[in-house]
Amino acid sequence: MSLTQQRPGAVSAALAEDRLGVPSIVFFVISAAAPLMVVAGVVPTAYTVTGVIGVPFAFLLLGAIFALFAVGYVTMARHVVNAGAFYAYAAQGLGRTQGVATAWVALLAYNALQLGLYGIIGSATEPLLVDWFGGAPPWWVIALVAWALTGVLGWLRVDVNGKILSILLVSEIAIVLLFDLGDVAHATAAGFSLEGFTPGALFVPGVGAALATVVAGFSGVESSVVFAEESKDRLRTVPIATYLGIAIIALLYAFSAWAETVPTGPEGIVKAAADQGTELIFNQAAAHLGSAISTIGSVLFVTSSIACMIAFHNTTARYIFALGRENVLPSIFGRTSARTAAPIAGSLLQTLLGLIVITIYAVSGLDPVTKMFFIFGAFGGLGLLLLLTITSISVIVFFARDSRGETTWRTRIAPGLATVALCVIIGLTLGNFDTVLGVEPDSILRWILPGIFVVGIVLGLVWGRVLKSIRPEVYANIGLGAQAVNGGIK
Amino acid sequence: MAESDLSSPSLVDDLYFVLHDNVTGHPLLHSRLTALALAGAILGELMLAERVALDDTTNPERLYATVRDIDGDPLTRGVLGHIIAEPYHPVGTWLLFFARTIYSDVTARMIAAKLLKPPVKHLFKQQPAAPADMNRAAWPLARLNLAVQRRKPPEAGDCVLLGLLAAAGCAQRVLSEYDPRFAAAATATLSAPLRKLIAQTKVAVGQAVISRR
Repeated sequence: MSLTQQRPGAVSAALAEDRLGVPSIVFFVISAAAPLMVVAGVVPTAYTVTGVIGVPFAFLLLGAIFALFAVGYVTMARHVVNAGAFYAYAAQGLGRTQGVATAWVALLAYNALQLGLYGIIGSATEPLLVDWFGGAPPWWVIALVAWALTGVLGWLRVDVNGKILSILLVSEIAIVLLFDLGDVAHATAAGFSLEGFTPGALFVPGVGAALATVVAGFSGVESSVVFAEESKDRLRTVPIATYLGIAIIALLYAFSAWAETVPTGPEGIVKAAADQGTELIFNQAAAHLGSAISTIGSVLFVTSSIACMIAFHNTTARYIFALGRENVLPSIFGRTSARTAAPIAGSLLQTLLGLIVITIYAVSGLDPVTKMFFIFGAFGGLGLLLLLTITSISVIVFFARDSRGETTWRTRIAPGLATVALCVIIGLTLGNFDTVLGVEPDSILRWILPGIFVVGIVLGLVWGRVLKSIRPEVYANIGLGAQAVNGGIK
Repeated sequence: MAESDLSSPSLVDDLYFVLHDNVTGHPLLHSRLTALALAGAILGELMLAERVALDDTTNPERLYATVRDIDGDPLTRGVLGHIIAEPYHPVGTWLLFFARTIYSDVTARMIAAKLLKPPVKHLFKQQPAAPADMNRAAWPLARLNLAVQRRKPPEAGDCVLLGLLAAAGCAQRVLSEYDPRFAAAATATLSAPLRKLIAQTKVAVGQAVISRR
């Protein structure tokens, strides 16, 4: 007798008022991907570092692969608790030990994506400060201000307010589209070239580096299933929001990446991006649309970067909290701040790591955009690719035991195709990691960074085994997240 | 017996006092977590009085009322009324549901019982509802501190109080000495439904922390 299937009563109705619909989730998802930050920051840097003209095609290709991945991902979200955490999928699909290893990969990847953002904020803010005050402090001073702001807001558990986020996001997308139109209206004498959309322009030496960077631009999409518990309709809201988010990101970024090449022509974009860096699209906009609109864009670039930082800081802190709650990490990480309800230990750890990285880069004088933002972004992107691959395999294994009434397309074919495609991209990325880092092809560094993930996986597997033998009650609950504390009593 | 058990001291009132400053009435815990803990306390109060129970034949276990008559103060009547009207929700759902409104309900009940002074509105800021009697307000926490100090599990009501404080992540902040093992041992002396209630409160608190809103 299923008593929960009764007509919705006062309780369900009242709780449903607080639930999220498709637009809210799409907003959360895309804002973590920070459109203006990607278009102004990631895209020109990708052109500069990789020299690949096919970046627009890369966005479309990855959009398709993400959509393929999402098929199995959202399907499994209907059947597991703690959806939204990759390690939960691995734990419930492949096994708990593998779940721990996945959790460690996720921590590395998210931390890298978060830390890399401190590299972009300086160059985002500098032109504005020069414009307004005639001078600007070194990048690391600006980064430290952003770092302090993020740390304090994380500690106070201030999420950028949903309304402010929506306004920012809509203005960002509007300004990006406006910039694109300005670019398209000012084509070179040679006219339009659609070379950027051809596979031939992407699959050249450097393709792997371009793909890894572009992946980082999609990060945030995977967070849609976090809202499964809070969504209006568990079966429909999250899948629709996920596909919509992927589609918007892929199309907007691909079009914008292409539009940036129109005024210069495909052959001129790499040089222009290298010369002007993150100022490229604002210089283009100033020339086409006037300085006022360009300045609005620059301001939104800064706010977009900061909002993205705060979003990633909080996401990562919560991830650490969930792991601490189930004792995969020391239980101190499962504590909350009584006054602010912030996942305090995870937040402070993030803040500490941020300070260390900014200090190292400031002292060593390395370029914050190409060496920090880009390398951390590509490293995080590689980690994200690994996570997506592991998750796709987990989906297949999970449903192989019991298809739970889902179709073969959702449980086998789509996740299978996604796995193959993701493995190919990981292979290409590893093959080009020297380009990502800007080192010689025989440099040891190109193997050290991906090697960190291997070390993380091995340590995670070892730790999983240790937990199994010394704390079986903790081991039994791996992958349950906040629910884990309930597992002790059954 | 229900009547006498529901009369003072109330678990909800005790928890409210522990989670607020004895003198000023300022909250010590984040409002969302306070609300979840208080929702846990009202259900705990009803469980201790054997007016609601868990049905362990269903999965998830539904909460149902064991009494047909609704009496007591308006808050208790309201909570019982909801549980009687919809006897098919698990504890987790009820915690979220009652957490929406419980804070103002508890404050109103305590003001009506002259345990709290009504909040005072000054020109620019509002003074929160402060305890009418500082000693009464300090008493629940003093009992808990004494129990922790003596390493002797207190009576059931205070064990639930301690369990809910730990579940809300506030035990460390308010107790003069906090020993997680003692809290676990004290909770272990409780009946299974009360232990599940405390565990569910901890789950709800964890999810509230992870949630982006």
